[in-house]
Formats: sequence, structure tokens, C-alpha cells
Amino acid sequence: MEQVMNGSIQFTPARAMAALCALAASASLPVFADDTLVNMSQDPAQWVMPGGDYGVNRFSKLDQINTTNVQDLRVAWTMSTGTLRGQEGQPLVVGDMMYFESSYPNYIYAINLNNIGQMVWKYTPTQDNFAPSIACCDLVNRGLAYADGKILADTLDGQVLALDAKTGALLWKAKNVDPELGQSMTSAPLVVHGHVMVGVSGGEYGVRGYLTAYDLQTGQSQWRAYSTGPDESMLIDPDKTIDGATQQPVGVDSSLKTWKGDEWKLGGGTTWGWYSYDPTLNLLYYGTGNPGTWDPTQRPGDNKWAMTIFARNPDTGRAAWVYQMTPHDGWDYDGVNENILADLTVDGQTMPGLVHFDRNGFAYVLDRRNGKLLAAHKYDPTVNWASTIDMQTGRPQVNPDKMTRVGINVKGICPASEGDKDQQPVSFDPQTNLFYAPLNHICMDYQAFAVKYKAGFPYVGAIVNMYPASGGNRGRFIAFDPLTGNTRWEIADTFQDWGGALTTAGGVAFYGTLDGWFRAVDANTGKILYQFHAPSGIIGNPITFMHDGKQYVAVLTGVGGWAAIGLAAGLTNPTAGLGAVGLTSSLNDRTNLGGTLMVFSLG
Amino acid sequence: MHTRGLSVVSVALAAVLAGATAQAGTLKVCADPDYLPFSDRAGQGFENEVAQAVAKYLGEDVEYTWGSYRADSSFDEFLANTLNARRCDVVMNLPYGSGEAFTTHPYYVSSYVFVFSRSKRYDLSSMDSPILRDVKVGFEQDTPPETGLKLRGLVERAIAFDVGEHDKESPRAMLDAVRSGEVDVMITWEPAVGSFLPDYPDLKVVPIPNERTLGSPERYSFPMSMAVRFDDRELAERIDAVIRDHGDEIKEILKHHGVALYRPSGVLGGAGEM
Repeated sequence: MEQVMNGSIQFTPARAMAALCALAASASLPVFADDTLVNMSQDPAQWVMPGGDYGVNRFSKLDQINTTNVQDLRVAWTMSTGTLRGQEGQPLVVGDMMYFESSYPNYIYAINLNNIGQMVWKYTPTQDNFAPSIACCDLVNRGLAYADGKILADTLDGQVLALDAKTGALLWKAKNVDPELGQSMTSAPLVVHGHVMVGVSGGEYGVRGYLTAYDLQTGQSQWRAYSTGPDESMLIDPDKTIDGATQQPVGVDSSLKTWKGDEWKLGGGTTWGWYSYDPTLNLLYYGTGNPGTWDPTQRPGDNKWAMTIFARNPDTGRAAWVYQMTPHDGWDYDGVNENILADLTVDGQTMPGLVHFDRNGFAYVLDRRNGKLLAAHKYDPTVNWASTIDMQTGRPQVNPDKMTRVGINVKGICPASEGDKDQQPVSFDPQTNLFYAPLNHICMDYQAFAVKYKAGFPYVGAIVNMYPASGGNRGRFIAFDPLTGNTRWEIADTFQDWGGALTTAGGVAFYGTLDGWFRAVDANTGKILYQFHAPSGIIGNPITFMHDGKQYVAVLTGVGGWAAIGLAAGLTNPTAGLGAVGLTSSLNDRTNLGGTLMVFSLG
Repeated sequence: MHTRGLSVVSVALAAVLAGATAQAGTLKVCADPDYLPFSDRAGQGFENEVAQAVAKYLGEDVEYTWGSYRADSSFDEFLANTLNARRCDVVMNLPYGSGEAFTTHPYYVSSYVFVFSRSKRYDLSSMDSPILRDVKVGFEQDTPPETGLKLRGLVERAIAFDVGEHDKESPRAMLDAVRSGEVDVMITWEPAVGSFLPDYPDLKVVPIPNERTLGSPERYSFPMSMAVRFDDRELAERIDAVIRDHGDEIKEILKHHGVALYRPSGVLGGAGEM
């Protein structure tokens, strides 16, 4: 692996002195065992990993801010992210320091909470020049990781960086993608047992996705597991890896058998979503994306293991179990959404559950020991591509009218390709036992094409027209019970609720809307208790922490280029018949680009 | 299509004569005699030079069977009359994964691009760039940019070209249209015009990124392969080996001809890292 010291670090003179002292101090501290990260994640005063804890619950035990006083919330301080592009992800708080990564060009900031207004350091990665020259629609980043005095980050052009948390000095960097194949990186890393887990995204022609583990100390690559192809390349043991759907070993060539010829090489299955981890079972969980080509008729078969939840041993990468949610995908319902680890009571017994709100509109509940399906209800009633998930086979009952195929415009498929939920993460509140989900509410017409060649001009694709589902609202924020399929309450929003959720012991759920409203909601009743209009739409995920005895809530604001521009084009349904409510609203009328970190407190 | 039917029959017959299709020592290439920059009878196109190189690495000679890619308006017809009629064994350019013939491993990736006068200094980086709403746009009919323009409500105002189906037209016409002011921005497949660009130093080229801003997957970059008949795996494997072992040399040929090899970012974030 490269070990190049590149990038730029800014110091102010006073901070340089402090940093040197800090360096000297840290040199005498012991190397942290991995347990420390687990312990730190249990400290509600900090927010040391992207999902709050390894189970990505995004729940805080803090209750200083609660339903009786949250209406008095106010802005404590703000900071520009220095970029205009969409701000996904969330900051981290470790001790008295806050860290966050902006959208491209991926500035990484370290802020001393004792001295707001001065950055302790700022790191600007040196990236391949092709990124700005073919600057795409949205260049987001979903956040940093922290472990053992290091900040871990990935960059758009596919580098994994380890920086000294105190000084911002580059400790190592690794190249994780092949830019020739159009891959990039946007996910937040997860550090487990001294391994830095990172995925890949992009590669529109479906180059095989993979998950890689790098050594936290050295940046050496330790294992890489592909999502499709030969068993060994996927680190799957035919006799040991269990298919969650059948509870049987997957058998030899479980992926290859489900592809025609060599199509698995274009097999997709990218891994750009969220990662979670169970320290007791020692299993890492993540989902894989769609199977590459947009035309399903080009790739008959189930296309395993795209659209799949993987459970792997983080030390060896070997897969313990797999569960595929959308076999032979025809709608681009990437399976990369987060896998929330929560202990649930099923039939009177508490069991280690895994809850996954998939793009396809079903909220899967699995036993996270073995991938066994326990429940799968629609979390949006308009879902129609499948009627149910068969509890015996784990497979969807596909509505044949909604299956896409070449040359035919299939109308009225719900959800649209963006899913009823995309990457915006859900929060689990153990006090209410409900899941708080910011959602999309959109349907589509979808016409698939094969790859074609008009002499001298290649062509491929699917045409998708999207429009709001029934009701006219394009977004929803709900409190949902995945075991029963019951929605306790719902807030209907004009636009997709593309930012994440946070719940707290104070009984408050926080989320932000695409047109910029940052909201505090009563977790029991769904009543909006407080809202503040941020400078730009919100696609980031709120966190909460303590500093000097006071509780704060922080969120990155800054609407994505994709959303601002895409919605500005207007999501109007070309055919008549849908409700007019909201159809004439354009996001462009409500918000602009602009990245700002907002931090709120009571007083 | 009746020619399709004929070629199916001939494939069935040929299966009986397995192995007899490829004559030892000769790479039989199907190509257009008059479609620069791709190929011509005089061997000036990049397909010609790549074919020459592939044959050399295979230790074979090149023999051409000529057919127009565009006359009678369809590349499908060309394939039916040449490759699938077993008059030749390989075509030099087909998108990887195309269902129309058996594609080899891709040997280059390129992209649709914006072409416009450098002096105009347009702020153009993707199909969503607002400037596209304010300028005269030209595009090649029935290609992804047409869909992209349609999705954005821009196609009605735009000017359609049809170089890919008119065998008397050179793709140069697309560059001339920018120079003459007939269009302000031309959207075209870069390899179709790459060879001519040195004659137009006043023109700037910007690649169009794949994206999903409107939900619809819009793909503007494509890996390109050579292709053989579906029953000719053996030739495909031999060509794959050449691509694997001499890929850099082949890319040099393409670059020399002005074919721009792109590395699309394909980042879709937000709405869809899909």
C-alpha cells in the first residue's frame, strides 16, 4: 500500500503549540484496545462512531433536552462546511473535540468544543483531478470514523485516510478503488478490532462490489470480499455459510449458479451503505447494491449475492450468513440500507434482532445470529412491486405487472428506484420500542432497454419517470413497529425526508426536511415541538452530545445538488390522475445550496 | 427481422462444422469501408489500427469483409449481413454487454461529451448545468443525451443530428455545427469525433458524468469491446488474452487517434448511489 504523506494541514500558531503538547501527551498513553471503542460508544456525552454505536441505533441516553423544554431549543453556534454540495453524514464528538468531513473536496475539520470559532486543524485530501473535471451531481460523504487516536476517512476518488486526531497529520493512506472502472467512495468507515471496514460505490456498468478491511495501524489490506462471483472471492464457505432464507448452507457456486455466463463479472453489489457490528457474536453486517445492468432481461437468475444482507467475521471476512431481499432485481432497489441491531421480543422471547428498512419498501426483521426471517411488513402501504415476502422462502411475491422488461414502459411501480427509504438512516428508540424512519413516498414508470449500438454511438438505459405516491407528499417521517407492521404516527412532508433520524431518552425524535426544517418531534405522539429553518435543506443525520454539562444537538445542513436540481425539474406526472397537492411545489422555490454545521442547545 | 432468421439458420448449420469457421492465420474483420474515424478501406480508422494490432498479437493476418454500419439504417443489419452470415468473425466496436453479439472483455471506456467553443466559457459540467437551458443544443438522435434532454424538458428546443444512420455524413458535421454557430453546445460520443478535434482547436470537450439526479439512471460512459458470434467463444477467449496482455498498447493506438479514455466518477450520492 502507498504510504505517501500528502494533503495539506492548516495550523494557527497558537494551536500548533497546543498540538505539540497534545502529541507529547498522547505518546505516553497506552494503545487502546478495541473494547475501548465499545465503551466510548456507550458514553452518551460522546458520539464516537457514525451510527452512535455499533448497532447503529442512533439513540442517545441524554435527557437534559426533553419534551418539556425542547420548544426552547435555540442555535448555539454554526460553522460553514466550506462547500456547496450536499452534506450527508454526521459529525463525531470524541471528548472535547468534534470532527466532520464535508462533501467534495472532502475537507476534514477538527474543532475544539472549548474554543468555538477556531479550527484545531483542517485537512484537505489531495485527490485525483478527474473528480472536479467530471463533477457530478452530488459528491457527498457519509462521515468519519474514530479509533485509537486516529480519524479514518474516505475520499471521493477512493482513498482511505488515517489522520492523527490531535494534529491532522496523515498516518497512512490506501487506495481502495480502481478509478479506471469508475468506482468511488462515499460511505463512512467502521472500525472493528483494529480493522477499518470500507466499501465501494459507483461503477455504473456494474463492476463487482466488495468490502475491504485495512489494518488500523498500518493501512495494509487484510481481506477483501466480493459480492458476486466464485465462492472464494466472496469469502463464502459453501458448507458453512448459511442462506438466511432457507437456513441451509448456501452450497457450491451459490452466486455463479444465479448468473448467465460471465455476467457476474458485471455483477454490481456495491457496498456504499452503513455498516454495523455485534461485538458478542463478532459479526459485521452490511448490505449490497443492485446487480449491475439496468435491464433485468440481460441477466436472468437471482443474481446473488446482490441485494443481500451479509454477516461476516470482521477478522477473517468469512461470511457467516447471507440473505437476499430482491432476487433478479428489476427496479434498482439497492440493498445497502443500514442494519439496525436491536434486541426484540418475539413470541414472548427476547432475541438478537436485525431490522432493515429496505429500498424495496419492506422492513425486514431477521435473527442476526443466522439471518432467519422473522417478519417483513411494508412500511409504506403503497408498495406494489410485490404483495408480500413469503415467510417460508424469504422471497418476495412479485407482482408480474410490475416487473420491468425491455421495451415496455411499466407504469405505476411503487416505490420508485430511490426506494421508500434510501441511505437516510433510521433510529431505534428502546423506550418506545419503535423505529423512527425518514422516508420517501414516490412511484415510477420504468422502461428498460438493453445495451445497444447505433453505428458509432452506444446506448443503454432505463427511462424512469417519478412522481409522488398517493397523497401527493413525497416524504414521510414515521414511528413504525416492524414486528407488526403498524405505523404509530406519521408526518407527511412535501419533499423526500432525505436526512437521518435521532431519538433520545428525553422522548424527542430529531430529523431534518429537504427544504431545511430541522425538527424536534414528540416520539410518542408525532407532534412537532420545535422547528428551525436552516440555511439549506437537510440531508445529514443529527447527533447529540454533552459539553461542559450542557446537551447539544448537531446536524450538517446543505441540500444535495441532486435533490436541488433534480427536484427543480419538477416531479410532475405526465398523465393526469394524481392529486395536485404538492405537485406544483419546486424545491428550488424553498431552498438553495449551502453547507452549514448547525449546533443547538437550550440556553 | 427476416435477416435475423437467416442468420439463426446459418448458425445452426455452422455448429455442425465446429472449428471450421476460423481459418488459421487470418483474422477476418467486419468493418465499414467509409466511416471515419472508425474505419475505412484505406485503413485510416482506429478500428483498422486496433484490428491490425490484435491480428499481430495473434500472429495472424487481417482480412476485411466490408459492410456499411449505416446504410439501410441499422447496425443490426450490418451484423446480420457480415458477422452472423459468417462472412467475417469479429467486429471491433460494440458496447460491453450488448446482446447483439458476444462481447469480449472491454478494451476501453469512453464517454458522451459536451463540445462547445472555448471562448464561450460555458460553466458546463453535467446534464444539470443550468446553462443548457439557455443555449442552442445539438445532439445525436436516439442516444442517451436525447433521453437526458427529454427528461429535462429540453429536447424540443434542441437540434437532432443523425450521423449514425446516414452513411454519407461524417461526424465532422457535428463539430462544424458548433463552429458555424448552428449549435452552441453539441452532445456527442467522443470517439466519434476525437480524431477530428485537432482540426478544431477552438473547441472544448467536457465529459458528461453518469448520474441519477432525476431518479432515472442516465449513463453516458460505456466500456467498449470487440465482438464475435455467440458460438465463437474460442476466438473471444483468444482476443481476451490479447486485450489482457496488450491492453496498454491498444489504448495507445486509441489515444493516438484522439479517442479519449474516460474514468467516469459515476457518483450518484443522495438520490441514488444506486
